[in-house]
Amino acid sequence: MANTTKLNVIYGDVTLGLSGPGFHYIFAYDRGGLESLVRYGKEWLYRTPMPAFWRATTDNDRGNGFSTKSAAWLGADMFSTCTSVDVAVDGQAIPLPIAPENNKYSDHETADSVTITFTYTTPTVPATTVTVAYTVDGSGQMTVTAHYNGAASLPELPVFGLRFVMPTRATGFDYQGLSGETYPDRQAGGKPGTYHVAGLPVTPYMVPQECGMHMQNDWVKVTRATTQNNADPDHQPFSLTFAQADQPFAFSCLPYTPEELENATHMEELPLARRTVLTIYGATRGVGGIDSWGADVEPQYHVAGDADHEVKFVIAGVE
Amino acid sequence: MKAEISWLDDPQTFRVNQLPAHSDHRGYATVAEAQNQQSSLVQSLDGAWEFAFAQDPQHRPVGFYQPDFDRADFDRLAVPGHIELAGYGQIQYINTAYPWEGKHYRRPAYSMGADRPEKGMFSTDPQNTVGAYVKHFTLNSELQGQRVSVEFDGVEQAMYLWLNGHFVGYAEDSFSRSEFDLTPYLQDGDNLLAVEVFKHSTAAFLEDQDMFRFSGIFRSVRLVAKPALHVEDLTIRAGVDDAFKTGDLKVKLQLSAADQLAGTVTASLLTADGTTVWTTESPVAANLDLKTTVDAVHLWQHHDPYLYQLQIELRDPLGQLVEVVPYQVGFRRIELKNKIMQLNGHRLIINGVNRHEWDAHRGRAVTAADMAHDMQVFHDNHINAVRTCHYPDQDAWYHLCDQNGIYMMAENNLETHGTWQKMGAVEPSYNVPGSLPQWQLAVLDRAKSNYEMFKNHPAVLFWSLGNESYAGDDIAAMDKFYHDADPTRLTHYEGVCRNRVYADRISDMESMMYDPPRAIEEYLKNDPDKPFVNCEYMHDMGNSIGGMNSYIDLIDKYPMYQGGFIWDYIDQAFWTKDEVTGQPVLRYGGDFDDRHSDYEFSGDGLLFADRTPKPALQEVDYYYGQHD
Repeated sequence: MANTTKLNVIYGDVTLGLSGPGFHYIFAYDRGGLESLVRYGKEWLYRTPMPAFWRATTDNDRGNGFSTKSAAWLGADMFSTCTSVDVAVDGQAIPLPIAPENNKYSDHETADSVTITFTYTTPTVPATTVTVAYTVDGSGQMTVTAHYNGAASLPELPVFGLRFVMPTRATGFDYQGLSGETYPDRQAGGKPGTYHVAGLPVTPYMVPQECGMHMQNDWVKVTRATTQNNADPDHQPFSLTFAQADQPFAFSCLPYTPEELENATHMEELPLARRTVLTIYGATRGVGGIDSWGADVEPQYHVAGDADHEVKFVIAGVE
Repeated sequence: MKAEISWLDDPQTFRVNQLPAHSDHRGYATVAEAQNQQSSLVQSLDGAWEFAFAQDPQHRPVGFYQPDFDRADFDRLAVPGHIELAGYGQIQYINTAYPWEGKHYRRPAYSMGADRPEKGMFSTDPQNTVGAYVKHFTLNSELQGQRVSVEFDGVEQAMYLWLNGHFVGYAEDSFSRSEFDLTPYLQDGDNLLAVEVFKHSTAAFLEDQDMFRFSGIFRSVRLVAKPALHVEDLTIRAGVDDAFKTGDLKVKLQLSAADQLAGTVTASLLTADGTTVWTTESPVAANLDLKTTVDAVHLWQHHDPYLYQLQIELRDPLGQLVEVVPYQVGFRRIELKNKIMQLNGHRLIINGVNRHEWDAHRGRAVTAADMAHDMQVFHDNHINAVRTCHYPDQDAWYHLCDQNGIYMMAENNLETHGTWQKMGAVEPSYNVPGSLPQWQLAVLDRAKSNYEMFKNHPAVLFWSLGNESYAGDDIAAMDKFYHDADPTRLTHYEGVCRNRVYADRISDMESMMYDPPRAIEEYLKNDPDKPFVNCEYMHDMGNSIGGMNSYIDLIDKYPMYQGGFIWDYIDQAFWTKDEVTGQPVLRYGGDFDDRHSDYEFSGDGLLFADRTPKPALQEVDYYYGQHD
């Protein structure tokens, strides 16, 4: 998309602010990620997006011991930390612009594009890293690339992706992809199309587990009607679209994190749904189906720990 | 005869004074009744019964069936229904281990030696709950003065029956119809029917299905009058010639009379639109064999489940119509040809599911609405076959399958999983029925009940000997029974794969469960003896049904691969009131403090327990649609 508008850059002491008409983003060095994504005055983030490694154990995962074998990724999903931040302006890397480095800037700095890259280190043994790079242009369009660096001897992953937790519960979402809940090894029956999903349904498996995956999407648009901003009385619906960059992605949009699902043995034990958990996946393990007491997912639907995985997508800018 | 509680302990006593099993035909007093399927010869006993519960046989109300017994403290219980769901007796779900695991050490009678009858195992069991049921009835006028029997469609697990204080009979086999003649003890006006139901008997060893463990009168009960002339049994063989053009109909009738066998029997065959294609009249006799051929016969199959109507009319010597018996007839041929199962000359592809009877409010006491819903789900998702896992279903389901072209693997009530497999390992040291002579008659009776009741349903293509009961002489005898009784169908049994000694004597097809696709391919590549069927595959526990293509791909590659039955159709869970919020919630195994339990293993369905579809159903629809 041709873009001639300049991006305002705010070289703060603990954050990097990027803004333009209708959008304002804050990347926090101290929080280790994208802290604020505001469009048209509405905040879309509750906490910084983090790499996603875990899925709530399915009955088949439990039966074949996958969750035990891959348990390190539950820790990584909860406790990976940001270990470095890199900033590039108009394609040129610059030293991290905190004081005194940022003393040279003014309150009216601009750029054509800015890329900020967060590196997360996992608590696995051995450790590995995930880089999450955000490139923003003057329209506010944000291209996000999350890259997992494979490392020898790491167990297979349940999933790899980037998880966005939004401050309030969405009223629903629309997407272009396959009908229903699909997985790499269960998507032949999914019919391509554009679908609306009202609310944030959790598939009511008797024991709450991984659910709500959607494969092969061009885009997903999440719609909310509420914010946590005390000064925002407006309850008109507002939306944010995540679109494919160079290939379709998988996503799930649920009111719970995998850890919340993991912890419940019945639907009624799940907490009150109050947020939106959107995860965009670059890789996800199949669900399997031969039996539920040992049979593995077929080999082509595993996610190797020693190979790289990546997901790239675009968060729409303002028009 | 006196009822003996010791029958509970004896595997050789499983039916006392029961009428012989027979076909599920219904008699009507008039042609109009037959057309409306409302028989005045039938009187339902469903509804509220008087009921008392006892924790064990020692505390049961002995003699409660006597008319003068003081039943003032009896409660009311709905029939049909499970005792446990009415709040008596603990709900328990367990899969392969027996429900007394960790509570009683048990070995089946005679399994450790002919001198080990295990007397008192169930009759003195302090955890064998007892339900004492009482129902008052006055015969409808249409039933008065006739011979009258009572039909119990399902009583779990052992029942004693009295009428007006007289002992009538005893039955086991929870899922087969038990019928008793009440005529000798009927009286004018009020009659008192009493049923004593024990949760466990030696039948418990034969009914170790992966399910919630219930007791009680959980299917309908009815009185049935037999007019002066009555069709006791009806056997229909509706085949087709080698060219699949000419129908071949054989009808075998067994008649009875209140006084003497005199009069005429008329048999007619009508097309679906009511055109008579054959009619014949003969003098009544105890046994009659009728036959005809039908030119350009309209065959029955999944996509065109065409049914003719057979109508039997019995008339007394004055020409007065006494009884009308209608039955829907489907002409088709199932056979093994070049080691491939063919239906009407075409290779059969089974897009099947295993279906437990389940209702999230009512347990296994499913309703007509449940069945209609299930049939619609089958229709909408290219499901063309059902295995009645692991017991005979309600009669109405078989008629629905006839009418909707659903191929049935009709399984009799048998699973002895806990006697040969422990902790996943094959360990048949005390397997029943095995080759034990003391258990053979019981399992043969189950096979016979299944065969006699459902033999006329075109939907039934296969008789299944049971589920997961290992293999021995007794199961071989069941296979032989089915083949001797019914040369027109094939037999199925998976358990023989655990004991190949019986491979030649048990099952017309190679049946496995949960074999990975590559193992099945190995079998198919090596010039096998029998066609292959997955009696259970694609275990749909929770979020599952991944990789289904690896099975479906075998269909086009190997003619001897003939599809399978997904495990399973519907989750087993209950609507229960949440003790914290008061809201209705679905609960599963272990949620009733039931131990030992197999917990969420009760939920493997394509549908959630409340009959909403799981997301995976669209995948099944897609793949089953490819070979529909």
